[in-house]
This record gives sequence, C-alpha cells and structure tokens, in this order.
Amino acid sequence: MKKVIPILLLAATFAACQKEPDLNELSSELIVYTNYDKSANFGKYTTYAIPDSILLLDDKAKPSYFAADDPRTTAIIQAINSEMKTRGYVRTNNAEADLGLQVSYVKDTNTIISYASTNPYWWYGYDYYWPGSYWNPYWGGWGPSYAYPITYTYTIGSLIVEIVALEDANATTKKIPVLWTAYMAGIQSSNQFNINKTVSGIYQAFEQSPYILSSVER
Amino acid sequence: MKKITKIVGVILLFAAITSPSIAQAQLLKGGYFNVDWQFNIPIGNDYANRGSGWGMNFEGGYYIIPQMSLGLYVSYHTNNKYIGEQVLHLSSTESLYADQQHSIYQVPFGMAARWRFIEYGMFEPYIAVKLGAMYARMESETQVYTYYDKSWGFNVQPELGMTFYPMPSKRIGMHLAIYYNYSTNKSKVLTYNIDGYNNIGFHLGLSF
Repeated sequence: MKKVIPILLLAATFAACQKEPDLNELSSELIVYTNYDKSANFGKYTTYAIPDSILLLDDKAKPSYFAADDPRTTAIIQAINSEMKTRGYVRTNNAEADLGLQVSYVKDTNTIISYASTNPYWWYGYDYYWPGSYWNPYWGGWGPSYAYPITYTYTIGSLIVEIVALEDANATTKKIPVLWTAYMAGIQSSNQFNINKTVSGIYQAFEQSPYILSSVER
Repeated sequence: MKKITKIVGVILLFAAITSPSIAQAQLLKGGYFNVDWQFNIPIGNDYANRGSGWGMNFEGGYYIIPQMSLGLYVSYHTNNKYIGEQVLHLSSTESLYADQQHSIYQVPFGMAARWRFIEYGMFEPYIAVKLGAMYARMESETQVYTYYDKSWGFNVQPELGMTFYPMPSKRIGMHLAIYYNYSTNKSKVLTYNIDGYNNIGFHLGLSF
C-alpha cells in the first residue's frame, strides 16, 4: 500500500495538466474584426445614409432599438459620421444615398447562434434583420447579399456595422450588396454597455479599413 | 528564481515525506521510476517562446542489461506568452484587431532507452533517447474568443542526465537532466504557423 501512495500523487499531479494563461493580463479593448467585398469600388460612392437608431438583435419576435436620443446611439452614430466624413462621404437621406450604414447591437444570441453554427448566412432566417424595405419602401422582400462568408459566432454585447450599396441594389435578384462588415466584441463590462470602448472600437474598425475612401479623398 | 527555489523546496519536501515509506526498496526492482518538475523553452518559433516551469515528466524503465534500460515516458508542458494589440490580416480582405495570450501545451510520450555509465554508484550519469508521439494544442486566447489547433506528430528527445543517490543501497535519489525535444506536429492558429516543435529544457526531480 505504501508503494501506491507516490503513484497516486503522480496521478493527481498529472491531472493538473495545462496551465491556463492569465486572462487578466488582456486589455479591456474591443476585439475588432472587419471584412469587405474585394470587388467593391468604394471610390465611386459619394453619399451615405445612416438610421438614427440602432437595431437590437435579440430573441424577441418584434424588432427593438436603441432610440435616437439614447446616449449610446448618439455616441455610435457620431463616431461613424465622423469617420465617413473624413473619408469624403456626405450624409444624405435614404432616397438619395449611394451607401447605407446599418448598425446592430447583439443583445441576445439565442436566435443568432443557431443559424451561425449551421449556416453562415444566418440573417436569411432572421426575420427583421435590416429588411430592404427600410431603405426603400418598394424593396419589400429584398435582402442583403454577401460576397464573403460570415463565420463568426456573434456574442452578447457586440456591435455589427455594415455598409450596403444602395446604388447597386439589384431589382432582378432583389439583393442589396453588403460591401463591408465590422464586428466588435467585448463591449459589455460587468453587464454594462461601455460607450467609450464602443466608440474606440468603431474608430479602430475604420482605421484597419483604409479602402473605405470616396474618390473625393483619393 | 524564487519560483525555482520554491519548486526545488517542494521536491525535497516530497522526498523527505515519502522516503521513509519507499526507501526500503526501489519501486521497480532492476529498474527506475522518475518524477520530475520540468523547465521548458520552445525554440525555433516566437509564438510562445517564453520559458516556463509549468510541466512535469514521468519516466520508468527496466535495465535489460546492467548499463541499458528500456521504458516508457510521458511529460506535459505549457508555455504562454502575452501579445499586445495588433491588427492581424487573416486573409486578403479580413482584419482582426486584438491582444492575445498565446499558449502551447505539449504532451510527448513513448518509449525511452537509457545508457548509464556507472552502475549502482552514488552518481549515475546517463544518456537517453526517447521516441514516441506528441499531442500539441496551440492556442490564442482573446478577451472573447479562444482560437486553437490540436495536432499529433512524432517525437524524439535526446537527453543527458544524472541520478544522485545519497545512499546507493536505498535507490532513492535526485534526478537532473537536460534535453532537446523535437516533434513533427504542424499547427496553425489565426495568422501563426508552427511547422515542427522544438524545445530545450531540463528535468529536476526524484528517482525511485
């Protein structure tokens, strides 16, 4: 029996196995992922439209929003406007805009994850994800089309910003091309929405996307 | 340095506690069994090349002739390294901005052959060659996601060591060895590739 004791000690030691890295050492900045349609010519567009509210993605049957007067909305829209202006784009209304910017905040992932795990184009099953009719009342039943797959699992507390080419919407296929996707994760700290981190994330998303540039600024 | 002193202290304490019970005879008559703390430094890549002491080595063998033993070994080790914020270009269109904790976890195991130059002395220097397989997990932790790749490969590990027996007749001693470790594993995480794992390090422990 005495001989078994050290062997048991060994087994216990071996079970300790992998030493996890210290995650506290990681900064609190957002993770920012961007992707774009390589065939897009961002230089040919000059105007854009952006809603004054932010769509909340959750498991509710009807869409809900951060309202226009919500400080979170104000800060996010201001940051995006600032970047678009710097890159030579002029804000206008939906009817006249070449580009549309749709901003969504992932509040709950119950619905989204189930689509993301089996089909990267999860929004086809996500009923109210930026319908074509938002941009144009005659575009009922129209939807986005992506030149690249979205394979990330969107987690609670992340922001998705997309640029769609309203000018290139296709009446035959009823598709609106999505030119750019920015995904920012880690916005929530202790279940609180962190506005400063979110704004920093938006600036970072544009910084790592220098190709978003109107011909005016080229 | 303090950490190493602590670990050596724990090993000596372990020896003191267990010696009365196992000093009557060695665990395997005509053989040996090693339990070692391990310090390992990955070389040849900068993914997680910070040396660390987060590992152990276990080895047992039987002397088929007085000088030569055959046996088995298994060890495990983790090396971590913090990488500050940077933009990774995942493809021609994809970019990812994040800071990361890189981690490499390695578990080589297989057969060990040892040749000792002195038999049943107070000092038993030896050379050894270990051959087997290795499991590796290459990992990048970010605030939100963990990216990882698991791989298998062949492992070879030449080793130069010595066992010190304060009382040769009792056959419980201190073990010290330096090693080089190569495995054929190939791993890819985000924009990082490792084609073959190389390590150097040392073992410090007890021999029964």
